[in-house]
Amino acid sequence: MNFANSPSFANQGLSPGARLILCVLASLALLVGDSHFGLMDRARDAISVLLYPVQRAVNLPLAAGRHIGDFFVTQAELKQENDRLRSLELAQSGRLMRLQMLERELAQLKALNQLKAGRSDGGQLAEVLYTARDPFSYKIIIDKGMDAGVKAGLPVIDEQGLIGQITRVQPLTSEITLIVNKNQMVPVVNLRTGQRTLLYGYGGGVEVRYLSSGSDIRPGDQLVTSGIDGLYQDGIPVARVTHVDRPAGAAFARVLCQSVAGVQSSRYVLVLPTRSAVPPAPLPEPEPSVKKKKTTDEDAG
Amino acid sequence: MSYERPQELLKPVRRRFITLTFTVALLLELLPLPVGSTRWLPDVVAILILHWAINQPRRIGVGMAFLIGLIADVATAGLFGQHALAYSITAYLVQLRQRQLVMFNLGQQALVILALLQANQVIMVLVRLASGAAFIGWGYFLPPLVGALLWPLLNKLLLLPYRHHSV
Repeated sequence: MNFANSPSFANQGLSPGARLILCVLASLALLVGDSHFGLMDRARDAISVLLYPVQRAVNLPLAAGRHIGDFFVTQAELKQENDRLRSLELAQSGRLMRLQMLERELAQLKALNQLKAGRSDGGQLAEVLYTARDPFSYKIIIDKGMDAGVKAGLPVIDEQGLIGQITRVQPLTSEITLIVNKNQMVPVVNLRTGQRTLLYGYGGGVEVRYLSSGSDIRPGDQLVTSGIDGLYQDGIPVARVTHVDRPAGAAFARVLCQSVAGVQSSRYVLVLPTRSAVPPAPLPEPEPSVKKKKTTDEDAG
Repeated sequence: MSYERPQELLKPVRRRFITLTFTVALLLELLPLPVGSTRWLPDVVAILILHWAINQPRRIGVGMAFLIGLIADVATAGLFGQHALAYSITAYLVQLRQRQLVMFNLGQQALVILALLQANQVIMVLVRLASGAAFIGWGYFLPPLVGALLWPLLNKLLLLPYRHHSV
């Protein structure tokens, strides 16, 4: 019989103090290892595979609730939405036709000028599984992982704009670091003036840093990705300037911004393919046909 | 001070039941909740560790708190080791005074729990500050208050299956 307060007469291994010291040392080692060297990624991957079915199971009732909620919309609502979408489609199909023409023209012009084709369309739709409970980090978990070909570093958008970047890929899920996370950087360009800057997250919001206090930036300015990093495609809306403060005596202006996308509220997100920044390597000199045949054989095998 | 509670003899608590409570608490961690709710939702895993460390000190000690903290780290996608560190330190503090704590009535216990949960939060804030995060405001110290208020209810609930009703 093992009652709660029965004293333990037998000496049971280490004393609590020694155990505490061991545990504290172990957790400090883990902390340093994780924050400085990222040593724990593999362990985390392994545990996340075990946790994935649990996550799905826990999410199931909520997802079912949402589906039932979707099912019981009224006829009037559906009709209204249908009408709205129809008119929207009509309006957009005209623009789409023009866009296709323009795209073709642009492709021709770029081909003429030997420029690299810019934006590649497509992407992967993913559902947000849950937002991480850790209040310090602004990260969300989505249901696409290594199995769907997601790679670390890919940008993630919703229907309004950029929400973040994939930072950790696990076999079945992956983690997005939102643009509002501390020290998350996005290279942006001011649409009105064309000035390029860096947008920093500061933990709950975004701001432009290191912009000289004399520079031309106003509340209401749109910031879109500049595309010079070779990671984000250019022209994705990121943020809008809300407040500009030019303290006397400081070299830099304080520029507070509001993110455009529903950074912490979107349910579905789109994982964009990365753009290849590096121009293709120049083709090698044509070699004798015998040797070339050999290399193709190697490729086939 | 009332001495009623510790004098009652509880049936031995099964290990299975303790495991079950921790499983449920970790599932709660994984639930997708509305964004604002993390501001007041208490850390159920921490409360459970304190509860079992007070009531079943032979089962849940520093080592178990450390292991459960590691699982909580993965579940919350935080820094590896922050929950483990906080939980093992508070479990040790409980162990130091376990004989005393188990004699307290629920109100007094709630006060101690409040202090211990705040200690958890302080440790985690310090860890995150040391690793370069920004301070996230005093709202972070609100959940322990809710946790301490819930303590009497949770305590009654968890010991319910092990009361001798016939006596």
